[in-house]
Amino acid sequence: MAQITSVVSRFYNEYKNKTPKKLKVIDAYLLYILLTGIVQFGYCLLVGTFPFNSFLSGFISCVSCFVLGVCLRLQANPENKSQFAGISPERGFADFIFAHIVLHLVVMNFIG
Amino acid sequence: MNLILLFFAVITTAYAQGPTLVLLENQVIKETHSIFFRSLQERGYTLTFKIADDSALVLSRYGEYLYKNLIIFAPSVEEFGGSLDLKALTDFIDDGGNMLIAGGNGKGALTELASECGYEIDEEGTFVIDHLNYDVTDEGQHTKLVIPSSNLIDSPVIVGIKRETAPLLYQGTGILAVPENPLILPLLTADSTAYSYNPNQAIDEYPHVVGKSTVLIAALQARNNARVVFSGSLSFFSDEFFTSPVQKAQDGELVAVSGNQDVAIAISQWVFKEHGQLRVRSVKHHRVGESKPPQAYTIMEEVVYTTNIDILEDGQWKPFNANDIQLEFVRIDPFVRITLQRKPTGEYEAKFKIPDVYGVYQFKVDYDRVGYTRLFSSTQVSVRPLQHTQYERFITSAYPYYTGAFSMMLGVFLFSFVFLHLKEDEGKKTKHD
Repeated sequence: MAQITSVVSRFYNEYKNKTPKKLKVIDAYLLYILLTGIVQFGYCLLVGTFPFNSFLSGFISCVSCFVLGVCLRLQANPENKSQFAGISPERGFADFIFAHIVLHLVVMNFIG
Repeated sequence: MNLILLFFAVITTAYAQGPTLVLLENQVIKETHSIFFRSLQERGYTLTFKIADDSALVLSRYGEYLYKNLIIFAPSVEEFGGSLDLKALTDFIDDGGNMLIAGGNGKGALTELASECGYEIDEEGTFVIDHLNYDVTDEGQHTKLVIPSSNLIDSPVIVGIKRETAPLLYQGTGILAVPENPLILPLLTADSTAYSYNPNQAIDEYPHVVGKSTVLIAALQARNNARVVFSGSLSFFSDEFFTSPVQKAQDGELVAVSGNQDVAIAISQWVFKEHGQLRVRSVKHHRVGESKPPQAYTIMEEVVYTTNIDILEDGQWKPFNANDIQLEFVRIDPFVRITLQRKPTGEYEAKFKIPDVYGVYQFKVDYDRVGYTRLFSSTQVSVRPLQHTQYERFITSAYPYYTGAFSMMLGVFLFSFVFLHLKEDEGKKTKHD
């Protein structure tokens, strides 16, 4: 038990001190998306699947945002710089925004 | 005077039944069965009497049938004369002609015709024998049977009301009806103690038919509603059996007159389609509150189906009264099946909601009851899905999903501000939601 707490506290400290602020912001954003998705899924289990298209678009929009957020986090992480050698961080962020515009157009069409 | 003549002319044409050919074994039968023939003539039939092997017999000329009905009272005819072979007779049935056949002795043209119709007549020389239920006038072979009217088929439209009918006299061969054939109706069956065998021979093999399965009078209503009645006994229709008293030899309760005449006339009325003929006069369908059928229905709409069904009575079509007619709304399988309600105006009506499945449907009324012609009507309609403008907008229970989707948009908007701002000034503290 003591070992687990020590592992957790070590992990927390490492994260607090060594992770860049930018990645911390992205992580907070991902957490927010995750919670929204869980709430929607729980609501669907509770009241049934009646406006199924609305549920799908709401839930899928969460899932896709999460995926796009993770992608951005990979590109923004300085440790991965070697893998994205030809792509500047600005370019990565522009791709992220463009993907979001397409995603939300689709979601709005499908939500009913 | 002229008016009265005209009136009678109208009456007789209204009552005129189809021309009928009667094939006799010999001219004597015309005299011995005169009551039966007279009752037919009184009901308006034009009877043409011919001997069964007359070489000039024709049923049709230039592709038109000369007769609507055919009576064959010629039990022992080997082969019909003229152009009347088996094919001509079966074609006559296939083209909607009605037939009443009496007698038959297991060989010759009638047996072949019977097997075409799905009956089997017992062999030559056989009679239905019943040692318990024979008439007092029987001559010792116990073949002149007394059949209680409870052995008649349970269908007033064919044989009349059987509780009011006196016992029946019967003398003749037994018929075996193919049980798998659903178009065959056993109109009269023998008692459980009866069997069919040659009365002059010792019984050394199992009889062809025994007990209740011995059919005495069988009927066939073909798929085209042509009717064929086959009676194993010619004397069933004779004046002698019509007028003679009935007394069972064993317990001896005397009934003044047999029920043969009532039943024979009822059967002749049925077989020549005076009774039990149905038709659909009109079919209407529309949405509730409208009066014309739309181009196409939409799913989940309320629809009204109205139909008029007639029965032929005394030569006139009159509204038919029944409470078991069903309507089916069919797309390969029936999606809706409901009983049509009879309204005081005589129409049948059904109201129902179209199911939540689109496609090409049919309104089907398929009414098939013993003694009545098969009533079948189908009307095709198409049912389309909702147009995209007909769907519900802003469903209350979907608001969490709307909020979720919009919060994702808002989230990415706020996030990009924070993210970009952070890039410019790394050391500053940021707040997020």
